[in-house]
Formats: sequence, structure tokens, C-alpha cells
Amino acid sequence: MSEDKKLTELESLQLITNMIQKAKGGYHETGIGSLLWGAVVGIASFVTYLRIEYGLELGFDIWLIVLAAIIPQIFISTRAKKQAKVKQYEDDMVNAVWLVYGLTIFGFSFYQLIVPGVTKQIILEEGWTMMKHFSNGAKPDELITPFTPSFYSVYILVYAFPTMVTGMVKKFKPMIFGAIITYILFIVSCFTKSGMDMLLGTFAALFCWFIPGIILRRKYLAQRSANV
Amino acid sequence: MFKELDPILHSQLRLAVMSLLISVKEAEFTFIREKTNSTAGNLSVQVQKLKDVGYIDVAKQFKDNYPQTTCKITAAGIAAFDAYVQALQQYLSVDGVR
Repeated sequence: MSEDKKLTELESLQLITNMIQKAKGGYHETGIGSLLWGAVVGIASFVTYLRIEYGLELGFDIWLIVLAAIIPQIFISTRAKKQAKVKQYEDDMVNAVWLVYGLTIFGFSFYQLIVPGVTKQIILEEGWTMMKHFSNGAKPDELITPFTPSFYSVYILVYAFPTMVTGMVKKFKPMIFGAIITYILFIVSCFTKSGMDMLLGTFAALFCWFIPGIILRRKYLAQRSANV
Repeated sequence: MFKELDPILHSQLRLAVMSLLISVKEAEFTFIREKTNSTAGNLSVQVQKLKDVGYIDVAKQFKDNYPQTTCKITAAGIAAFDAYVQALQQYLSVDGVR
């Protein structure tokens, strides 16, 4: 490209359009973050489904792998930030959405961990109990320990939120479709038992992150090989 | 009355640089070089001209022991680019009428 080349008005306009398109299309996520979280949440949900439905026991809480995945995620984010040659206007907003999403998920986990125990304590102090009563009298009444019923549906709903925002802002259709499918899975999960919710959560992780991650990775590798 | 096209922007490489920078928050020199398909020397000169008129900010730092130059459009640059595009539209609409 020459600095002195005289441009006609039409050439100027074409050049502007061309360069704006190049700037927008010149950046792809590596896809590793999406693949990581799609795999981790998908595996944890599926193993929990197998535990609830078929009694599979691993000897440890499978959801600890979600906590463990934060370490490689920090490494991936730091590396991506270092390697990025261009910063888009929407990057800060998308990153903020994912950060708030992460805080929300940990808020949910904290709620599930704390609220049943606190409720049990409050009930105890007030001097009453929750009982499971079989209306046909087949079994004797059982004492119920407070729990959060079918809470994984809410997780599925929240999985769709940052995915939809990212898909819309980055104009990345696989994430938009993934989020729409996840909203449908959320509705279905409202009518299913906890075990099935976990299986639906597995599909949500696949559609929201794992499959878009594969597509992003392919695009990224294709772009990188084109630049060599 | 036609607005005069800004001579700083009405040059192929400088206009390409400004068009890239208007679309992103900031970009590395190497990214601009790749996208504009220009030589480092030529691009350097044009980036300096844009910086001298206050259309872009240029930050130089070291990253992993290598020099890194990052360019960012300024408010004056955005205003100049906007005025340039409006002037272009004026010319093109008259051409379209002819």
C-alpha cells in the first residue's frame, strides 16, 4: 500500500469499508476457554447424572474439577491478553459479563452450601420439623433435612446468559444458537427430576461452550495458518 | 459548497490506518502492518504523521524484551475521520446525481 497514491472519492470509501471489515474479521478467540469450560461442566454434570440415576460413586465431589479449572483459565486469559495484537471496544464488556457470571455461579454454590444448614437451625430454634408424609400410608413419616429443590435448573438458565451476550456482541451464531437451546433445556428441566436436570445440564454445557469452542478453535487455527 | 477533503486522511495508507483504528480500541503496529500490507518503514512514517497532527496516540513499551508499539485513535482523530466521511458522501452524492 502506498502513502502517496491519489484516491478517487469512491476508492476512499471502498478502502474505508474494506479496512473496517478487516479490523472486525481480524480477531478470533483461541477457543480454548470455551472448550475447557464446556468439557469441565459437561463432565461434572454427566457424572452427577450417573451418580443420581445409577449410583456411580467416584469417592470425591466431581464439581471440584470446576474449581480446579480456574487455574488453567487464569493461565489462558493471561496468555491471550499477552498475545492479543488488537483490542476491540466490546472486549471489556464481554469480560465483565463473564466475571459477573462466575461470581453468580459461586454465589449459587454458596447459597446451596449454606442455606439448608441455616434453615435447619432456624427450624430447630422455632421448634418445628419438616416431615415427608406418604398420603397412601405405604411408609411411615420421614424427617426432611432442608434442601434446595431442583436447583440445577437455575444453573442451566444462568449458563445461557453470558453465552447469549457474547454471541450477540461478537456476532457469533454458534453461541447464540447454543444459548437458545440452553433456554429450551431450562424450560424442559422445570418439568424433570434432579437427575434428568443434570443430563440436560450436560447438553447445555456442550451446546453453550464445547461446540462453539470447537468452531472457534478451528477458525483460530485456520486464521493462524493463513498468516504464516 | 464542497467541504475540502482532509489532505492528511486523503492518502491511501493513512486512510487505511485510520479506518482500522476507528473500528478497534487499540491495535499493535504489527497488526496494522499485516492488515494494510505495508512495509514497516513506510507505515512508521505515516503513523508518525498521524501522531503529529493529533489523530492517533502512539505508545511504545517493552513486552517480553521486545519493543511493542500500540496505536489508538484520539477524539480529534474520530472527529477528523467523521468530517472526512461526510465530505466524501457529499462528493459521491453529487457524482450519483450526474
